[in-house]
Amino acid sequence: MIRWRQARTVATFEFLSTVKRVGYLVTTFGMPVFIALYGVVVGVPVYFLEKNANKPVVYGVVDGAGVLRLEGETAAGAPPIPDDVRSALEAAGQGQALDRALVASQFVFRPYPGEADARRALVASEIKGYFVVPPDYMDTGVIDSYSSDVLSTRGSDSRSALATLLRERLLAGRVDARVAARVTTPVKEARRFNVTREGTVTDGGVAASVLRALVPILFMVLFLVSVMMSSGYLLQGTATEKENKVVEVLLSSANADEILAGKLVGLGGAGLLQIATWLVMVLVISVGVVPLVLSARVAVPWLALAVAIPFFPVAYLFFGSLMLGSGSLGSTMREAQQYAMVFSLMAVVPLMLMSLLITDPHGTVARVLTWIPFSAAPLVVLRASLDPAELAWWEIAGALAVLVVSTYGAIWLGARLFRIGLLAGGTRVKLRDVIRQARAGA
Amino acid sequence: MLPVLAFEGLTKSYGETVALRDVSFDVPGGQIFGLLGPNGAGKSTLIRILMDIIRPDAGAVRVFGEPRRRAHLDRLGYLPEERGLYKKLKVGEVMTYFGALKGLSRAEARRRALAWLERLELGHTVNWKIERLSKGMGQKVQIASVLMTDPELCVLDEPTTGLDPINVRLVLDLLGERRARGLSTILSTHHMNEVEAICDRVALIDRGRLMVYGAVDEVRRRYSLPEVRVGARGSLPVVPQVASAERETNGTWKLLLADGVAADAALAALIGAGAAIERFEPVLAPIEDIFLRVVREGQA
Repeated sequence: MIRWRQARTVATFEFLSTVKRVGYLVTTFGMPVFIALYGVVVGVPVYFLEKNANKPVVYGVVDGAGVLRLEGETAAGAPPIPDDVRSALEAAGQGQALDRALVASQFVFRPYPGEADARRALVASEIKGYFVVPPDYMDTGVIDSYSSDVLSTRGSDSRSALATLLRERLLAGRVDARVAARVTTPVKEARRFNVTREGTVTDGGVAASVLRALVPILFMVLFLVSVMMSSGYLLQGTATEKENKVVEVLLSSANADEILAGKLVGLGGAGLLQIATWLVMVLVISVGVVPLVLSARVAVPWLALAVAIPFFPVAYLFFGSLMLGSGSLGSTMREAQQYAMVFSLMAVVPLMLMSLLITDPHGTVARVLTWIPFSAAPLVVLRASLDPAELAWWEIAGALAVLVVSTYGAIWLGARLFRIGLLAGGTRVKLRDVIRQARAGA
Repeated sequence: MLPVLAFEGLTKSYGETVALRDVSFDVPGGQIFGLLGPNGAGKSTLIRILMDIIRPDAGAVRVFGEPRRRAHLDRLGYLPEERGLYKKLKVGEVMTYFGALKGLSRAEARRRALAWLERLELGHTVNWKIERLSKGMGQKVQIASVLMTDPELCVLDEPTTGLDPINVRLVLDLLGERRARGLSTILSTHHMNEVEAICDRVALIDRGRLMVYGAVDEVRRRYSLPEVRVGARGSLPVVPQVASAERETNGTWKLLLADGVAADAALAALIGAGAAIERFEPVLAPIEDIFLRVVREGQA
């Protein structure tokens, strides 16, 4: 029987003493600053690279076959950008970025009368490389490509651009212009639609469905980070109490269940507060994404978000109880982490199977994992996000019921292990001691 | 005086090791009760059972006349032998926490913590981190953390170990004040002089068994030899009621009475033989001697 007043006292103490620690404050507010600084360090060189990359890339062409008939510098067509992505980027005020991206993807071909001229231009770094279209090209289809001996990742893009230019010039005047356009670019844009089980047609574009894939991944990552962060605080707190020898004082005022519950809420709350602080910072920084979401008619997976609300805290308590209980058996912080690691690995399993689960969200593996308490929460969220119509209500209710019952059992077991671990002080607990003392009720 | 605590047939084993064997005794209210025993005798097990930290295999605990419930823990105080404080936290925070765990509001716990720190001349340390305290200061903070909740029954395991004589006296005075207010204290200690000085009643446990129990004077009389200490002018006459006499350094005599002779009979015989008696008192065995004797007999 838990006396909630005791649990609340423990929770308040643990929470306040944790969030006031310098280390906690530094991590909470310093981590985003560190990441921002890291971003600047990485971003500055990338920015200058990008700036240079925005300039059109000039390649030389020696047209020995006379198929290109270039009369000056000529640009090859840029690959098409889907309309929904284009409109979303423009709505988000990213029009300039779009233009830069288009410019960056363009190659300009400069004609040279002979290979010697082209080679001199390459050596003088006036061009990135050059192509020689030999006189027998029409028979062989072979061209020669020359570039400097500096590693470049643009070789295949430039060859692709030249191929497009060749197609255009070979067809020009020989076939109807519309046919020529379709031969050059058979699919300019593939508009995508989804048909629901009720027969309703909805937008199926990449931008529109991005959240459906993103929500379960974010849920899993957030859940894992929360569990890891909080378990760190929980294990550290227990190790401190063992080290400081305050265990018996606590146990003479509150039982193991009350202390465990208080720690889960207090230290777990401190961990969640940290995550929430980071999330708020990310949301504030990324406020510009909102118009992108609105203009692209992004489908918000409301069911997934709704089921995430009850599943997250229950699953969090489930893992926290087991990790704290098992971790308290360790005689040192390192041992505690090793014991708790077993459950960390269990939490990672859905993430490891992500590609399989996304491919087949209602397959056998996904359905089985839905009913296992270690993976129920992320699986239900994933299935509700990717294909809510195929996820039956009883699967959601059943998985939640299994998780709630398992969490109750985990708290019970965690409290027994916690009590044994606390009373063992700094000595290592053997499995037979755990079984014996659990049977003895102490 | 009604008992505030009663152990009834407590038995507890850890695997093959029997820690307590059918231990039963009462602790009367408003007294200081000495719980004695060599290391590993079972004292800590007994206290842990009282505080509901571990469960007995058999037997029961009654506190304040009722079967012990968790709700009773708010009325019990406990200073364990193996104890400590949160080193990285402030003195006031830790004391407030311990007070809140015993049912005080945070504000009341804080107020009492400040008052007790002042009383123990540690008021200036309220915002110190625990790690800054000396060992003696830390121990006084721990004792204050227990006593500040005014527990009706308080268990102190070796509260004075490591304290200087001034602070030992301070702690013993605090326990005396508790007794004067009708509050009960169980003092588990290896300092036998403290037991003689302050305890009203004792229990001695050895290898899980209750070996000695009773009021301190009664126990001392029970385990004493038939000896009396006599102060007299001049020499003492030889009487058959006295088996032997030994002159002590301060001039008094320690007389061993003959078998079956009561002290008053020996006194009458000495006066009758012309002795000028100024002082006559039974020689009570020191608790330390009783402790050693009982434990050695148990080992034999």
